Amino acid sequence: MSRIIVMTSGKGGVGKTTCTANLGMALAKAGQRVAVVDADFGLRNLDLLLGLENRIVYTALDVLAGECRLDQALVKDKRQPNLALLPAAQNRSKEAIKPEQMKRLIKALTKVYNFILIDSPAGIEMGFRNSIAAAREAIIVTTPEISAVRDADRVIGLLEANDIKAVRLVINRLRPAMVAAEQMMSVKDVQGILSIPLLGVIPDDEQVIVSTNKGEPLVLDEHLSPAGTAFINVSQRLQGEKVPLMDLSIQKESFFTRLKRLFGA
Amino acid sequence: MVSDLSSPQNQNHPDQNGQPPNGIDFDNFILEIEPDPLEGNEDAVQTKPESNPNLQVQFKSERGRLLLLLPPAPEKSRNPVHWEDLRQQLKRRLSGTERFLQPHTPVHLIARDRLLDSQQVQEIDALLSEAQLPLKRIYTSRRQSAVAAATAGYSVEQQTTLGHLGQGQEASQQAMDEPLYLQTTLRSGVEVRHRGTVIVLGDVNPGSSVVAEGDIFIWGRLRGVVHAGAAGNPQCRIMALHMQPTQLRIADQVARSPEDPPAQYQPEVAYIGPDGIRIAIAADFALADLTTPETT
Ligand SMILES: Nc1ncnc2c1ncn2[C@@H]1O[C@H](COP(=O)(O)OP(=O)(O)OP(=O)(O)O)[C@@H](O)[C@H]1O
Ligand SMILES: [Mg+2]
Repeated sequence: MSRIIVMTSGKGGVGKTTCTANLGMALAKAGQRVAVVDADFGLRNLDLLLGLENRIVYTALDVLAGECRLDQALVKDKRQPNLALLPAAQNRSKEAIKPEQMKRLIKALTKVYNFILIDSPAGIEMGFRNSIAAAREAIIVTTPEISAVRDADRVIGLLEANDIKAVRLVINRLRPAMVAAEQMMSVKDVQGILSIPLLGVIPDDEQVIVSTNKGEPLVLDEHLSPAGTAFINVSQRLQGEKVPLMDLSIQKESFFTRLKRLFGA
Repeated sequence: MVSDLSSPQNQNHPDQNGQPPNGIDFDNFILEIEPDPLEGNEDAVQTKPESNPNLQVQFKSERGRLLLLLPPAPEKSRNPVHWEDLRQQLKRRLSGTERFLQPHTPVHLIARDRLLDSQQVQEIDALLSEAQLPLKRIYTSRRQSAVAAATAGYSVEQQTTLGHLGQGQEASQQAMDEPLYLQTTLRSGVEVRHRGTVIVLGDVNPGSSVVAEGDIFIWGRLRGVVHAGAAGNPQCRIMALHMQPTQLRIADQVARSPEDPPAQYQPEVAYIGPDGIRIAIAADFALADLTTPETT
């Protein structure tokens, strides 16, 4: 049976789209057939992060309007043919689509793909309800900040109320040095509040911005950056492998730069 | 599939080497969604579904008066225009056309089957007033809108049929509308649709789009998605001072920009050549290509 996973957070800008793009790509690299679905109507981004914007011909709305078939709207990734994107419409409000319609789209995708990742918009309104409508699992993305964690907690409650029981956590943008200096919540602190299984921790990494601007997910890099490695690890845990957490806690700020100096020049 | 500009149109679906797991050829499959279970019921209520998806807010001059045509009720359209969009469209239209509109020309608002509350009517009036256009009268087929407008003190005509004042023929009419002139920057998320030629005095940013049934002229930087000849006319053209689109479409053809942009931009023209969408430097195009449709 296909895995249908929604990436959601409550708070905006914590890294849902970044996670969707990288996990989708990592799973595809591992041989899974992956469809990533942009459920952020009106503020779509996933196509940009994947570098697929200029290949979009139809969107999910065209499929629902009967203007094209679902396979015609899917944008296949040239670098990684196991990955396809179902684009959202850019110019429509989040009310443009209903949960029941989302369910029909996802249901059809399960005939071909074994992983379906849904990138949810921020908030808990219609767009959120659409994105969880068909999901069987959820990945909560949060940053180690009080406000993000508070919103994540709220969302976990909503997911439980909607019978999505497999809910796991990704903590994004962790800065070990700040945690060490007790200026940032630690993984333990976050888990202590949310008390759901941890799927992974992604360090704050400026390579994320570089990859976003290039439209190339980090996990495609030949020499993986720390965040890229962390995303690969998350994708392996998603597939049931036991991968130890990267030990971020003892690393000082200079660790990666030192590593780079060792291997780089 | 979207082909690269200047490369020959892609050869449809390579048929080789698809291993089918669960019986599906992964390289070449057809996937359809189940029909909408509610669709039947809704259609029964609709008098006639809007046949042209390209209707947005529109001005038309007719014998010394100005008609302001609103798009049909969002429930009935394939490209629904909700109130907030409608307001933006009206503002944008006014910003482009204002200079050509005779101040104090009375405006007749053709609201069709849209529901308008009195506040919305007042907002439309306020936007028109900024352009020194008095709102003379409102025509609607919805009782509720008529009551709302009348309560707000406007002169109203409730029509059961959309017979006169230019809007009746809309759906069936073959000829295109007069060109739409916009003087603005189209930002991400904006979609301009028009049943005719569109002229933009400004930039078309990435994430925005223009869909025109005629030609498209961009007097500025074209970086979004534009579709000329959207109703199927392959003779339509796209011209831009600075052609750097996310995607170009003419009739049913699609192309995207080459990966590496040129060092310098000059005005260019996109048109359909024998092997798909081509781009020519505007200055050369007039000489070389204007004659080709007849000779080939
Ligand atoms: N691990 C990271 N290190 C550094 N920057 C990051 C990291 N993860 C995300 N970012 C940056 O944070 C910003 C927001 O990321 P993203 O768009 O993925 O968030 P989002 O949750 O999808 O936002 P929205 O709620 O608006 O959809 C981006 O600029 C991205 O580059
Ligand atoms: Mg996002």
